[in-house]
Amino acid sequence: MSDATVTLSPTENVINAPATEVDGHDPSMLISMRDIWKTYQMGTEKVHALHGVSFDIPRGEYIAIIGPSGSGKSTLMNLIGCLDTPTQGQYWLNGKNVSEMDDDELARIRNQEVGFVFQTFNLLARATALHNVELPLIYGGVSASQRHEMAKQALTAVDLTDRMSHKPNELSGGQRQRVAIARALVNHPSILLADEPTGALDSHTSAEIMDLFERLHSEGNTIIVVTHEHDIAERAHRVISIRDGMIEKDERIR
Amino acid sequence: MKFIETLKLALAAIWAHKLRSALTLLGMIVGVTAFVVVVSLIEGFNRYVDEKIAGIGAKSFTVQRFNPLEDFKDTDTIAAAQRRNKELTLDDYDYLRERAQLIGKIGARARGTPSEVKRGDEVLEDVFVSGATANCVDIENRDVAEGRFLAEPENESAARVAYIGADVANKLFPSGNSIGQEITIRGLPYRVIGVEAAKGTVFGIPQDTFIVIPLKTYSVNYGGLIRQRSLYFIATSITDEQFNDAVDESRFLMRVRRKLGPNEKDNFGIVTPDAITGLRDRIFGTIFIVAIAVPGIALIVGAIVIMNIMLVSVTERTKEIGIRKSLGARQMDILKQFLVEAVTLAIIGGAVGIFLAWVVGAIVTWWFFPTYLSILAILGALAASGGAGVASGIFPAWKAARLDPIEALRAD
Ligand SMILES: Nc1ncnc2c1ncn2[C@@H]1O[C@H](COP(=O)(O)OP(=O)(O)O)[C@@H](O)[C@H]1O
Ligand SMILES: [Mg+2]
Repeated sequence: MSDATVTLSPTENVINAPATEVDGHDPSMLISMRDIWKTYQMGTEKVHALHGVSFDIPRGEYIAIIGPSGSGKSTLMNLIGCLDTPTQGQYWLNGKNVSEMDDDELARIRNQEVGFVFQTFNLLARATALHNVELPLIYGGVSASQRHEMAKQALTAVDLTDRMSHKPNELSGGQRQRVAIARALVNHPSILLADEPTGALDSHTSAEIMDLFERLHSEGNTIIVVTHEHDIAERAHRVISIRDGMIEKDERIR
Repeated sequence: MKFIETLKLALAAIWAHKLRSALTLLGMIVGVTAFVVVVSLIEGFNRYVDEKIAGIGAKSFTVQRFNPLEDFKDTDTIAAAQRRNKELTLDDYDYLRERAQLIGKIGARARGTPSEVKRGDEVLEDVFVSGATANCVDIENRDVAEGRFLAEPENESAARVAYIGADVANKLFPSGNSIGQEITIRGLPYRVIGVEAAKGTVFGIPQDTFIVIPLKTYSVNYGGLIRQRSLYFIATSITDEQFNDAVDESRFLMRVRRKLGPNEKDNFGIVTPDAITGLRDRIFGTIFIVAIAVPGIALIVGAIVIMNIMLVSVTERTKEIGIRKSLGARQMDILKQFLVEAVTLAIIGGAVGIFLAWVVGAIVTWWFFPTYLSILAILGALAASGGAGVASGIFPAWKAARLDPIEALRAD
């Protein structure tokens, strides 16, 4: 890596500025995707969920990925979050080539670098809020006492100090999503990835969650929100629109 | 992920489905209980026999007409032995007594006869009456409660005196004071000279319903020392170290007396405690194989049931597996989670089985038969159930570990 690229701060990094490429990607970027394809074999037919997608995301950005249902948003998010690997193309996360990693390395990346927030929360029903938030730390090998401390802090950060020992079915939708956000953030990941985070919430609660994202962004977190709703996308600073597995538009809106 | 975390997870999952876990374990529990009970019975029996042999005091061996280990294998060997082996005689007894250097004490005895015994109106059927020389009291380590054992002059003169078991004494003399009293054995009057201390039962067989009379008296009144009334000798060595040499010496002397050539078989039998334990081990070897086979089958069935339930559990918890993988669980973490769950489940089954076997053993010991639960049996049962847990858990755990995270997350 050259010094010039390392000192570049995210805000100075304009989207279409000529990138300083090394090995076909820009090492200053948190995320660098080059000509990513994802193809599913459906019987004899091939379904291209993504056709040659390329983009860069610098650290600290707040991005929305928008598109109609079936356009490939979730597929893209699964790739970014290392739940899946591309059929073709290169993906660098934090300077590391994820497209060449094996299962265990991907699991480690998911544990350390990525925080997921899902539409349906995906909390363990039998576990308390605190235990749910501790899960990533357990797989990260953090000691029990430290784990407890970190999980409490994360729950405090999402205003759930008084709900720590509640199970998911004793919490409202908004509270459950905040537990999920605390869980996503507890490991201090490089990216917070949210797939339709407000899809299962009423408009009032949705607004609360979006306020929380805004606050988390202002605290320095990199956030990627996948949505099909324009008002959710408009709260981001940059919007990538995809349609039929291709990037239609990539624009900074504030 | 640390092992303790995995174990906590396993216990929580088992606890969350208490009833199902319990039902799953039935086969396992039955298998382990059966196994441990049988092993406890065998070990209890062994210890009991060892204790009884030790209780006899100095080791003794018998010289008798047949060698049951060699001669009673099948009808052919029995027939051959019956042709070859001759009854022992009192001359044989004198011969051994005079020549043997390594024998400490040697007594002569006759196999007994069930007889009718009376005193007044009281009649006892089938009291086992046998004959013995006076020194048998020491060789057989008899515990005299009242009076004394037979004396040698009584033997020489074929006196009608009787040394009686505790049971006989209690039934014929309910108010005590049997010594010097008269009883009738097979129609002839005998004087009671001693009562033996009660021994209770061994494997449910009463040990106190017997009478010992002088050998000569027995021979005279029962019709000679042959067949069911065969004469046999019981001997100890000078010291325990010389026991085997004493046995060899007696065999040698008997062969000389019977003028056997070097290639001829013994036409008499010598039975040592080692031979008895050897026989016991042979019998139990067979029982043991059956004892392992039956619970083994139950254990295999138990393992298959656990595997089934674990497969159901993996399917039910696909979403959970997806969530865990999305949060950074590696394949190994998931594999361990389900494997440890299966093994923990199986070991709980094993532990319950051991506990039940302990209860059954305690009841059996109380009512019928000594049992003994050894650490080795416990460890063996735990290892077997743990092994069954690994065998039943590995495939479901592998299936869980291999699940695709996205597919798994999509499940509900
Ligand atoms: N596992 C899969 N197998 C086959 N086709 C799939 C699979 N996952 C997604 N697709 C297809 O890929 C396309 C994009 O899906 P997805 O990324 O879920 O869209 P979105 O999240 O934007 O609604 C769709 O046509 C969908 O049917
Ligand atoms: Mg989607």
